[in-house]
Amino acid sequence: MQGARPERPDPLTDHETVVSVTGRDLVQRAVMERMRVRLLVAAAGFGCLFGAVSFKLALATVLMPMAPAKRQIAPLVPQIPKISTDPHGLLADDVGLPVHRAAITDRNGQILAISLPMAAVFANPMELIDPADAADKLKKVLPKLDVAETIQRLSSKKQFVYIARDVTPEQELAINDLGIPGIYFEPGEKRHYPLGRTAAQILGAVDVDDHGVGGVERYFDKRLSSDKTPLRLSLDVRVQGVVREELEAARLHFKAIGACAIVMDVRTGEIISMVSLPDYDANLYNKASDDERFNRAVTGMYEPGSTFKLQTAAMVLEDGIAHVWDKFSTVPIHVGRFTISDMKSDHFAPWLAMPEALALSSNPAAAHMALDAGAKRQQDWLRNMGFFDRVPVELPEAARPLLPRLSNWGLSAVMTVAFGHGVAVPPLAIVRGTAATANGGILIKPTLLARPEQQTASDQADPSLAAGSASETKPLLQPVSDTKGLDGATPNNPDTDQDGGDAASSDNVVPQGKQVLSEKTSALLRRILRMVVAGPDEERTGKQAEIPGYFVGGKTGTAEKVGPNGTYLKHVNITAFTGILPLNAPRYAVYVMLDSPQAIPETHGWYTSGWNAVPTWRKIVARIAPMLGLFPVTTGADQIEASLTIPMSPPVPAGYRALGPGNDPGDPVKLAQQAKEQAARDKAAAKEAREAARATANPHTRSVDPHPVGGAVRQSVSYVRPSN
Amino acid sequence: MAQFSRADNSTLGRWWWTVDRWTLGCVGLLIGFGYVLMLAASPSVAARIGATRDMFIFKQVVFLSIAGVIVLATSMLTPKGVRRLALLGGIVALGLTAMTLVHGMEIKGARRWIALPMMSVQPSEFLKPCFAVVTGWLLAEGKRSRAFPGMLLSAGIFAVILLLLKSQPDIGMLSVITCVFMAQLFIGGLNMFFVGCGVAGMMAAFAGAYFAFAHVRSRVTRFLHPEQGDHYQIDTALQAFGNGGLLGRGPGEGRVKDLLPDAHADFVFAVAGEEFGMLVCLFIIGVFCFIVVRTLLKLLAEDDPFVVLATAGLVCGFGLQAFVNMASSLHLIPTKGMTLPFISYGGSSAMSVALTIGMVLALTRRRTQMSRFGDMPARRGRVTGRGAA
Repeated sequence: MQGARPERPDPLTDHETVVSVTGRDLVQRAVMERMRVRLLVAAAGFGCLFGAVSFKLALATVLMPMAPAKRQIAPLVPQIPKISTDPHGLLADDVGLPVHRAAITDRNGQILAISLPMAAVFANPMELIDPADAADKLKKVLPKLDVAETIQRLSSKKQFVYIARDVTPEQELAINDLGIPGIYFEPGEKRHYPLGRTAAQILGAVDVDDHGVGGVERYFDKRLSSDKTPLRLSLDVRVQGVVREELEAARLHFKAIGACAIVMDVRTGEIISMVSLPDYDANLYNKASDDERFNRAVTGMYEPGSTFKLQTAAMVLEDGIAHVWDKFSTVPIHVGRFTISDMKSDHFAPWLAMPEALALSSNPAAAHMALDAGAKRQQDWLRNMGFFDRVPVELPEAARPLLPRLSNWGLSAVMTVAFGHGVAVPPLAIVRGTAATANGGILIKPTLLARPEQQTASDQADPSLAAGSASETKPLLQPVSDTKGLDGATPNNPDTDQDGGDAASSDNVVPQGKQVLSEKTSALLRRILRMVVAGPDEERTGKQAEIPGYFVGGKTGTAEKVGPNGTYLKHVNITAFTGILPLNAPRYAVYVMLDSPQAIPETHGWYTSGWNAVPTWRKIVARIAPMLGLFPVTTGADQIEASLTIPMSPPVPAGYRALGPGNDPGDPVKLAQQAKEQAARDKAAAKEAREAARATANPHTRSVDPHPVGGAVRQSVSYVRPSN
Repeated sequence: MAQFSRADNSTLGRWWWTVDRWTLGCVGLLIGFGYVLMLAASPSVAARIGATRDMFIFKQVVFLSIAGVIVLATSMLTPKGVRRLALLGGIVALGLTAMTLVHGMEIKGARRWIALPMMSVQPSEFLKPCFAVVTGWLLAEGKRSRAFPGMLLSAGIFAVILLLLKSQPDIGMLSVITCVFMAQLFIGGLNMFFVGCGVAGMMAAFAGAYFAFAHVRSRVTRFLHPEQGDHYQIDTALQAFGNGGLLGRGPGEGRVKDLLPDAHADFVFAVAGEEFGMLVCLFIIGVFCFIVVRTLLKLLAEDDPFVVLATAGLVCGFGLQAFVNMASSLHLIPTKGMTLPFISYGGSSAMSVALTIGMVLALTRRRTQMSRFGDMPARRGRVTGRGAA
């Protein structure tokens, strides 16, 4: 090879003889030898390098492989939905469905709302072989599929088209079995309300992205999407069903445009039932009208009418302004251009004691009570009872009440508010106030959440409470069986327990909340409420509510509705009855309201509360009481009845000078004199009334309630009022 | 090709009987693997580089065909031809490398490429084999004649290259060229003291790079402290190896090619690991090792210092490049973007590697050599009358 480079001086050939081995040659050879050693070293080095790579490769692949990430193996191993193989799992609270949003149940675990796994079917048209064939095959599984449109979509030059949404797992499996390449599934879920109309407004709905858009679904949106354990509501679907059935029957019977009913535990505030009619199928939320979605119990603002007299009476009794034996004038009151009177005032005695005034529901008497208290005290009382704020319940729809402005709370406002006009509050606020007057004076917080079970157990049986139940001065907390009722047999009859004084076996619950009136006043009010239903006076408004053995009581209310032009409508009423069950040991507040019921032959032309709301209340209570574990008292009924009775005109104890003729701070004659003396103030009062009317009437024209109810003091017509 | 007769005295026949057929076969194997892996990775890579799949495969077929032709054509050269080619190519490549600093196409913060109509060329890729050959020649000349300052000249050229690559910057290429240069000096019989100095100098340079270049620092930090920073690439690659296991997922069944942007180039070994498993990867490593070690051992029988030094330099560069690529994929060394010879996608790389292997084959062809004891029958037969008494 060296011969190929003849131009280069070759040490071996040019300077030395060819055959001899010289020192130079030896040096050259030594250099080559060293190079060879170094070559060996280099080869060994590369051997080491590649050996190290091989070793690391073995580590990485077989010896200590890194677990592949999900995205690396996901397409290779299709995800299999893990449905619980345990058949009992389906019966348990934790339904093992592969969904993200928690179920909603009633207090007994009955499912009200549940997410079901559904898939969306989509296709990659680029992978599809025969769109027409695929569409035909899919049609067999999905009967609602529009074949023509599907073919068009599958033929498009896209990589992703939806074919169908909300496909059941069964259909998904069937489509998968078709084996069409390019068809894929996207897992999802769909909210289902198995009980349809039951508690539809309370539950609300979710949007396509599974976010709550109304009711409990919205209020507890974060909770439902983060914690998978079912949300247990305080509702009892059995009670809810009965209440709805009876209320709907009454609504049709009395041709009312709407209705509302509430059943609430007066000790815990748990709402057992809350019905607003008309309602809708919760699965068809998007098709429901605004009127159907409207929850009258918390969003509807209605003038409470005479049910508010209970608050007026509670106020004057608690504050010591009046006593149960004090008498109040029923003579129509003329204030400026207004007259406050009763429809049946012809029949009323000119002066009525407090029990009688409430049983007969006299407007002027209530106005007098409030006049004795004054505007400031009235406002404080109502604020304290929670009527000035939105009801604290777990519904986003809970709205603020409509009230006269405090600066305009003049004389006429005091008088009209006394009998429930000029203010508009939601029915749940009335129920809350009724519960507070009857449960020993505790203002509880209404709730839609069931109390945790263990708390019920720990609250059992405070002996002092059980003993106190025999006394009028302690809360009459009635020990009854659990709310699961029917299977609870009968030993928990309220009266036997009360007599026995031993409530250790039942769930005695101390109401938690602010003490807004004394137990003494509460006991007095319970007797008065009983007299409305079971008093001796034939004219009493609540007599149709009586259910023998249950010692029910309550207060009627009829309020004229305000028409579109701001004036009260004749013969268009909101009729309501708010009652307590049973009064000897209050457990439940039950409220029924009918919106614009009509007079029918059966009611002899009457359309006031006593003729429609009250009998409906009775029918509801008679059916739900056994469900709630309450049974009619058969023994010792007379004794209990006696403890709940109060004379319609209680005797005045020695040392007191009762209010009445000659001792009447709210005397309309004096009032008239004052009015003359202070004409300017009268004018101001009229102005106040007008502004109060505006303040409360206007918001009622909201579109959600097609038959608005107003709270204005009527200005032009004579002030004759239904007074049930 | 077995039909070439032993007696065939044509150029092709002589080539066939003198070339290192084992190495040639290994190169063929590597090109075959390159095709298979490119077919596997082509859909995702085509989508990524914005070409159609057909175009992508066509390009790679063309690149590898050209590479094959380059290997064959270069391997037919005589050592003298190799030296001339290297000198010429080295000058051109050096010029073009210098030009990248002015007219270079900037990709990911470095100016290494020159845009051409069909492809972008990285001239430093060609600089590497040319420099190895030129260094081999200069060092060999230095040994032949003490008057020839071979070491000094090669060190001067190296300094120029060092400056150019540092400016691009292309620390990876710089390291490989440095390593190759050091290996050549080492094999050339440099005093162990100077070898030690050289190693120390490289370490110092590496430390300098660590402090001078942020990306070098971040990669080394991430290598040394696995719990820190972003390891998306290396984790994905290691997961791919783990996913592959002993026998792999099967051709086309891997996913790493969709997940890693450099799956067709720097991380092609991970694609192979995932789809074909450990055994095939071991085989690929074996092929590279075989080429390098066989060539180095073959040089033991070589008497021409130029051939020894040039071939050793070329094959060291080739082996180092394969090592760096595979070791990066396996997290054996900090990640360094370097292609896997013949297997990674890319035109510049394939042609540069083809040139390298072609030169190696040309230099290691069996030649009639002079006898060690001066009898030199072959020489006598070829060169007439010269020096013969």
